[in-house]
Amino acid sequence: MHRVLLICAVLCSAACPLAAVAQDLRVPASVTAGDDVTIPTTGSGKATFYLVGPGVSRKSEVSLGEEIRLQGQELWNAGDYLVLVCSDICNSGTFYVTAAKPASFAFLVHPSRVPVGQSDAVSGVAFPFDQFRNLVLTPVTVSFQLTAGNKPLFSKQVRTENGAAWFRTASGKSAGLLQVVASLDDLSAKRAVQQVASDPCNLRITGQRIPIGVLVQTEPVHDCAGNVVPDGTIVTFSATEANGKSTVDAPIKQGIARAQIEATGATVVSVASGVVMGNELRIGAKP
Amino acid sequence: MKFILPISLVVATAALMVLGLFIGGQARGTVGIAAGSAVYTPKADNAEQALKNLLADVQRRNWDRALAAVSKSSATDKESFIQEWTGSNGSLRSFSALEGFESRPLHITPDEAQIRVRLHWATPVGPLEDVRDFRLIREGDVWKTVLPKIQVPNVPAQVIPVTYLRWDLVSGGAADEWGSRNVDAPHVRIISMNAVDSAEGAVVMGEIVNEDTVPAFVNVNATLVDSAGSAIDDETSFDKINHVLLPKQVSPYRIDFPNISLKNVKSVRMDEKATLVPASADPVIGVMNQKIESDVQGKSVLHGDLFNQSGQTVNISHVIVSFYDNNAKVIWVADGYEDHALLPQSSEPFAVEIPKSVAPKVQNFHVVVDQYSLGRS
Amino acid sequence: MSTVRSYSNPIPILAIVLVALAVHGPLLLMQLPSGSFDANFHMFFASHYAHHWFNPWNEKWFGGFSQTTYPPLTHQWIALLSNVAGLKMAYMLVQLIAVLLLPVGVFRFARIWVDDRAASYAALGSIFLGSLAFLVYQAGQLATVSSVALYLNALPYFYEWMTEARGKSLIKGIAISLAAAAAHHVTLIFGVVLFAGPVLWVALLDARDERVSGSVSGVLSRAVVFAVAVGAGVGLVLLPYWLAIIQHPIHQIPIPHDSRANFLLNSTTAVNYFVIPYGALILALPFILFRGAASSRLRPLLIGFWLTLIFGLGGTTPLPRWLLGRAFEILTFERFTFWATLLAMPILGTLAIELLDRFQSKAAVALSLAAVSTVGAALWWLNANPFRPTATTNVQPVIAFLNRDGHDAYRYITLGFGSELSKVSIYTSAGSVDGDYNSARLLPEMTHYGSAQLTNAKFYGSAGMASLRAMLEHANRYGLKYIFVHDTYYEPLLTFVGYRKIETFGSGEITAWSKDDVPPAHKIESDAIPPPWQGLLWGILPIGVSFLAIFLELLLPERRRVPAAAGVPVRAENPERHFVA
Repeated sequence: MHRVLLICAVLCSAACPLAAVAQDLRVPASVTAGDDVTIPTTGSGKATFYLVGPGVSRKSEVSLGEEIRLQGQELWNAGDYLVLVCSDICNSGTFYVTAAKPASFAFLVHPSRVPVGQSDAVSGVAFPFDQFRNLVLTPVTVSFQLTAGNKPLFSKQVRTENGAAWFRTASGKSAGLLQVVASLDDLSAKRAVQQVASDPCNLRITGQRIPIGVLVQTEPVHDCAGNVVPDGTIVTFSATEANGKSTVDAPIKQGIARAQIEATGATVVSVASGVVMGNELRIGAKP
Repeated sequence: MKFILPISLVVATAALMVLGLFIGGQARGTVGIAAGSAVYTPKADNAEQALKNLLADVQRRNWDRALAAVSKSSATDKESFIQEWTGSNGSLRSFSALEGFESRPLHITPDEAQIRVRLHWATPVGPLEDVRDFRLIREGDVWKTVLPKIQVPNVPAQVIPVTYLRWDLVSGGAADEWGSRNVDAPHVRIISMNAVDSAEGAVVMGEIVNEDTVPAFVNVNATLVDSAGSAIDDETSFDKINHVLLPKQVSPYRIDFPNISLKNVKSVRMDEKATLVPASADPVIGVMNQKIESDVQGKSVLHGDLFNQSGQTVNISHVIVSFYDNNAKVIWVADGYEDHALLPQSSEPFAVEIPKSVAPKVQNFHVVVDQYSLGRS
Repeated sequence: MSTVRSYSNPIPILAIVLVALAVHGPLLLMQLPSGSFDANFHMFFASHYAHHWFNPWNEKWFGGFSQTTYPPLTHQWIALLSNVAGLKMAYMLVQLIAVLLLPVGVFRFARIWVDDRAASYAALGSIFLGSLAFLVYQAGQLATVSSVALYLNALPYFYEWMTEARGKSLIKGIAISLAAAAAHHVTLIFGVVLFAGPVLWVALLDARDERVSGSVSGVLSRAVVFAVAVGAGVGLVLLPYWLAIIQHPIHQIPIPHDSRANFLLNSTTAVNYFVIPYGALILALPFILFRGAASSRLRPLLIGFWLTLIFGLGGTTPLPRWLLGRAFEILTFERFTFWATLLAMPILGTLAIELLDRFQSKAAVALSLAAVSTVGAALWWLNANPFRPTATTNVQPVIAFLNRDGHDAYRYITLGFGSELSKVSIYTSAGSVDGDYNSARLLPEMTHYGSAQLTNAKFYGSAGMASLRAMLEHANRYGLKYIFVHDTYYEPLLTFVGYRKIETFGSGEITAWSKDDVPPAHKIESDAIPPPWQGLLWGILPIGVSFLAIFLELLLPERRRVPAAAGVPVRAENPERHFVA
């Protein structure tokens, strides 16, 4: 709709001079969103004033020779505006409304969960907006700070380009909450990334005979950085004996996975979690 | 005409009704509905007919009549007989209906017979077949079936401490600030893929792992692409996958493309989709005594026992197996549903058939178990 | 008037209609048929016409199907009346009209064979038929009842046209026949053989024996004229139907139906499809046989009755399978039993008057008891029947769920809802891949298996579950995201194929399941979409012929009928006493 109105207005302003005497209309080149603007006019008598811009269009009667006053609330949206004054003749002018100073910003961080010790695994991007939700294209400096626990991990100041500032960095070494803060002047936004343990490392099992077979369990399962692998992670126990093979997919609970395996003969038990293998355990036949 | 016509019509009707008994008449029952009795039942004067009558009454859930066709020498009672055919504990059998059967005598003497029956069950998860051998004996002028003692699982009273572990999903409200509460989809990865031609069409299979620390609902889609780059067909892994994968859990998947040959396929486009879902880490089901053997019909079958290590009943278990060749490549994925419930701390046998063409190449296998528990889905 | 004398006169037709109103009016006003198998199906079709009169393409079922695959008259009448009475009451009103038209039709049809007195008792008896109660209250076969009621009213005109060459009869006969076809085509097709056949036969006998003015050749030639005119008319009025059926002949795998079973092998089926529909009429079967055979004029009717009875026995005899071929696996046979009972009514009318003449009040009491117990048993059977439709379920939460939060961007199916599926479909804007009308299905996941609605999949055993599995396998293709379950039987399958329970309605009576990776539904392209001109034709001609028939009945009233000598409800020893003025 806005585009149609703009085209109509331009066509009208092009056609009007054919039937009118030239008239002077001086508009400012650039205006900050939300600011009041006055446009001086020359001549005398009544004229019709048109304002066409992003999300706004207005028609009103004005007196030539007096200033035309545009309220700040008509100029909230950044972008190109067209003004048109028609009496016997029409005259037009355009001006650009730029975003005001940053009043808020959107801050996106990816991913929400990340294994520890991964390079270029955490990224974030900030978009500053003014109070009217216009993207601020004027370069501003955004400060990014990453902290795990109370320990700072990463800090960087980045100038926005085309309204965006971003960073990318490696995840930390310890599982837990990674706080990511972006700040711009007195504005700040906080996001959290869950740093989780990586693949299990040095997976080890112990076992013993019980009346119904073999009870095997892992030692506390950690990743290579020493983080406890989260509960619920599946550990696969495989027991091979002369009669065949038995497998149990058991979840880690309280740091340990355990399983009962029905095996009476000499048994070799191995363990794996995902694509990571652990040690093998040989248990003798039931006496 | 006054008498000839009505008599002719009555005779014709009777003749047609008698003919109807021999042409196309079926005593099919409707699932879940006792369908009434047959007005006419052939006499059990031979072993096959006796067994047919028994199974027809089982189909109609006419238990008294069915039991009357069972020999008094059988080591069964009415309750366990009914339980044997209708299932218990919310098992797959308890949802199933005997849809049909085919019998084949194995051995018949004047007083005793051994008959093999292929039972066709209609179940919620699709048709299932069950092969059973029955022994029949002549008692006077009729044959009766001798049923063995039915083993009903007996779980001793006990207390099983369980550290209950589950993941709940909390959805953010619509009013949340943009980007402040996003939770990423779980990270899953296809770790192997193989495409083969089978008797029914092309098959794409392999394994997928949940590499994340949260449970994932996974589905694998495959699109067959021809040499011109156009999609021939796209299908999903459907029930040949364990859809809910816990962290680091691996599941086989199989995608069937019926009536399509790989000859026309240039490439396969794989697409794994993962979403975050609530899940529970229990129950844990162990797969014991896995062994490939030949069954009575000469087919290669992977046998084993499912052992419920938890304190809750698993109503229906679904076994999915990936078979590997000597290069550790997945060469087949097969599955099967267990028709008996898994009671706490008890075992039930399972069997999964391996196609003839695949069986000689199988070097290793990996079994996963998916489960359904009433009221906990 | 003495009691004896009152029995010796025909019952006025207005009184018979009032009895029909008294018996069926309250039952229909209580909306008893709303729980029947097909009532919601008819209302669903009517609801579409109420909103899209000239567009028969309905996207709410099967991902899109054409309503030109089912004759529209009754649905269009419901749609019209729904504007003033609401959908459900409009259905009841149309059903009531059909029920009131039926005894009128039976009376007029019976007069071809017997005198007015016997015909009036035949009409009175037809109100209490178990088969009528079965069709109206259990099966919900609105179209069958409406069509046969119209057809029985058309047949006397056919007879009059053949025997008397009255142009008025020809025009009215054709108009009512076309209206009957617009209500239900199958009734007309089989009616040609089972109803019109005996009428033609008796007209030829009457012409041969000079009981009527026309000659045999005249009767034959006029029958051909009538048949050609009706054939052409049906061809035009239902043109979109014929085009649809030619474009997509029914190639689907046969769907089992208990009316095709052998009743001897299943006592419940025998009760449902034979004992209940016939009721006390079973006791009259020997009389029907012997009386029908005794009179040459009644023999065509007897043969027609016998053939229809045999068809009504479904798979109990092989005759229907032999004669119908593949059509045997498509048709359901309870309607044949209904037709057989209607064909028996003229002869039953003679039995009634003979009993009344001989036993007066005792016979009246016995006949009344027989009639009331027949209809009463059929109504009792509604609840006693193990095949009865599921008890009414509150589907409002399902409708509300589908209509909120953009859920209607996806398709859905219901499981274990029975005919309530149609009710959900009427009131939701979401589409389903399921539907309650077998002949319109084109999706291969449904036509390649021997089962009907997915919502009833388990009742079709392995075939039904295979069809459901095939549909779920292609859930992403069809945007099938939501499944509503009213039967825990289906829960294991949904769990294993990746659906997840997301909501519970009505204290757990219904659960909603969802699959997370299903994309929104998109329009399914189909070559079955009727072009606009067919929609126009469909919206004008069928309803148009019904209006034409009404206007012709009003504008061209019948002369008061002089009892014809042809009425021969004869008892050999005293034939003349039945010729009452």
